[in-house]
Amino acid sequence: MSTAVDVATSALMLVGALLSLIAAIGLHRLGDVLSRMHAATKPATLGIVCCAGAATLQLADLSDVTKLAVAVVLQLVTAPVGAHMLARAVRGRPTLAADE
Amino acid sequence: MNVVGYVSLAIVFVAAALTVWRAVLPVSVADRSVAIDALTAMISGGLLIGAALRADALLVDLALVFGLVGFLATVTVARFIERRGS
Repeated sequence: MSTAVDVATSALMLVGALLSLIAAIGLHRLGDVLSRMHAATKPATLGIVCCAGAATLQLADLSDVTKLAVAVVLQLVTAPVGAHMLARAVRGRPTLAADE
Repeated sequence: MNVVGYVSLAIVFVAAALTVWRAVLPVSVADRSVAIDALTAMISGGLLIGAALRADALLVDLALVFGLVGFLATVTVARFIERRGS
């Protein structure tokens, strides 16, 4: 039982970390602001969910799990709002959307 | 689990270093904002990995605060760009 929980925790932690790495590589390799935004929102949603799942498996206390749920919900609500505002500010401005 | 956890933390550290480099390079304000948004998400994820690794609930609070600060930073910069143009 405990071994299975540890294996699941390890897998979730590794997936979250690899999503961060993919986003960092995408920030360097993709062509314009909107494409880079597409790469940058991976760790902001799925990465956080994976890391919070790993923490949930290790923290038994209900209050801690509730805090984790609040953190995940806040992240899932605020990440699209922030990305939308930034995309709306950039849209139609070639000087901002161009590379360098 | 400990070994995988520390390897994950190392991966997140490398990703955060690459993202900081992206934000420091001479790019537009929007690019910097995107990079810093990704950076706060990565720091949040790293804190949650640390919470799982040490079974420490304090790091969960820090991750929550970091998520909110990242949102505020992105919204502020977006409003600034919309008004000022660049």
